[in-house]
Amino acid sequence: MWNPYEPISSNLRTVLGGSAAIFVLLIWSLLSGLSVISSDKLPSPWGVMSAFGQLAWSESSQEIEVEKPLPQSSLAGTMQSGDVLPVERCPEVCSALLAEEGTGEPSSLDCEVDWTEEDAPEGILWCQAQVTGSQSLLLTATMWSVGRVLLAGLRVIMIGVPIGVTMGAAPRINALLSPLVDPFRSAPIVAINPILVMWLGIGEAMKIVFLVLGAIVYLIPMVRDAVQAVPRTYWVSAYDLGATPFEAVRHSVIPMAMPRIADAIIVSISVMWTYITVAEYINAEKGLGQLIQNARRFSAMDQVFVGIGVIVFLALITYSSMTWLKNALYPWEVEA
Amino acid sequence: MSDTSISVELNGVVQEYPAPDGEGVVRIVDGVNLTLDRPGIYMLLGPSGCGKSTILRMLGGVRPIGVKTPTEGEVLINGTRCDGPHDDAVMVFQRYANRPDLSVRDNVALPFRFKLWKKRVPAAEQEKRIDEILAAVGLADKAELRPSQLSGGQNQRVALARALVLRPRILLMDEPFGALDAQTREEMQLLLIELFNAHPCVIVFVTHDVDEALALGDRVLVLSTRPARLALDIPLAEPRPRSTLWKRSTEASRTRDKILHQLHESGQDR
Repeated sequence: MWNPYEPISSNLRTVLGGSAAIFVLLIWSLLSGLSVISSDKLPSPWGVMSAFGQLAWSESSQEIEVEKPLPQSSLAGTMQSGDVLPVERCPEVCSALLAEEGTGEPSSLDCEVDWTEEDAPEGILWCQAQVTGSQSLLLTATMWSVGRVLLAGLRVIMIGVPIGVTMGAAPRINALLSPLVDPFRSAPIVAINPILVMWLGIGEAMKIVFLVLGAIVYLIPMVRDAVQAVPRTYWVSAYDLGATPFEAVRHSVIPMAMPRIADAIIVSISVMWTYITVAEYINAEKGLGQLIQNARRFSAMDQVFVGIGVIVFLALITYSSMTWLKNALYPWEVEA
Repeated sequence: MSDTSISVELNGVVQEYPAPDGEGVVRIVDGVNLTLDRPGIYMLLGPSGCGKSTILRMLGGVRPIGVKTPTEGEVLINGTRCDGPHDDAVMVFQRYANRPDLSVRDNVALPFRFKLWKKRVPAAEQEKRIDEILAAVGLADKAELRPSQLSGGQNQRVALARALVLRPRILLMDEPFGALDAQTREEMQLLLIELFNAHPCVIVFVTHDVDEALALGDRVLVLSTRPARLALDIPLAEPRPRSTLWKRSTEASRTRDKILHQLHESGQDR
């Protein structure tokens, strides 16, 4: 008789997993290829691929404006004080200014000098340049999002792990803090975002605090549980060997809780990837959430799909690399 | 251990715990008098849940939270009243409580990370003691392995070494070999005898196993069912290690029957 509960080989696992992905891709291709669902609602796989290519690498032409009062230090070599800048020299000075700004080679240049007074050496130099170059919107956005998750992740670990360990080890502190911490595990953290906007404004601080908050409400109770799950024998044995309470926690309890603390960190950092889009919805200049938000505003469904795909991929990378690290650092739980 | 003079006294010890249903108290230990005045292996037997471990913990100064220990009576160690943690006794548990992330050597050295022993034992002496005890328990060649690479018996050797490296005058063993298979258990019993002969101390050994008690004990103390009283106190003079022949002798059989009868009777009382 066919037994669905039978263990399977790793080959079969790969085959089954791969065929599921291919099946979904096939259905998706059919639906969009046969125009069952219009492409502004469901972009085709190849559409998403090309949007990915475009976002990952595109030639861009950018208009750059620079405005500086004259005289400028960049003109030191080219002008003596008291000299009047002849209008013919304008492009030369503009190029120097733009180079100072760190932009690429301009393909066209417009320039104008507004003299504050007739025949006076002070004035406003205004340059406009057309700069062409290649850029990767996706890479920039990814870097920003990864940076935010890293920054918030470090903070979550630095704040959450000590609090969780203290709560797990000291019942008094747990009794004191758990009514403040536990309800937030099921609280709608996303709904807190508007409050954060009012308190912290719409800058970077709000985004980082939101990410930290979203992850730490999971991390603290999980770390606490990890510490509480350490068998009583380890406490008793440490006390019996002459440890002070602090030494018992440091040398017997925390080392035993480490694998589960690591699990808690992995879960809460992974949760951050689901919150990153929310954090970046409001006034983000760069980031994957902003990329999705922007694309949605222009009904570019293919780009929305690309953004989601990249986030899922990043979350997967985060998860598997941290799991690998955990297994390398704390192999005993896996062996047992 | 240069100073082997040791006496452990329980005078009318009573222990009560709050009842699990929250009403009144449950008496676990009911007036136990016991004097262990010289080094030896003292086997503590009794029906399960009778309070063996409670007595052991009392001797070790490991106290449960919020309960006066002992409720009545007193525990004297070398004539000094003991109602808290003290450094004369070290416990060995059935669950070895080894740290899986440390090597065998570091596990044995664990107590020296604690202020108490760091100050008391100089670093050079620590190394010497660790080397000695690892050789004594037969783990000298496994010093760099992790507990997960060892068998159950070897893990219990690590726990035993960690206790003995402190040279305690009292060694408290709470069913230490209970989780081991018969053959390993016998090996561990022989090891314990060797270690005891090298460093005589008071060993209080809690067990379920009558044959283990007969193999190891200088005295076999059998407790009644809860609340525990001392029901039997049988001295065994036969030198260790005891031969199979002695274990099958009439004397041994008679003692075994006596103990089993007492345990059985307490079982019926429940």
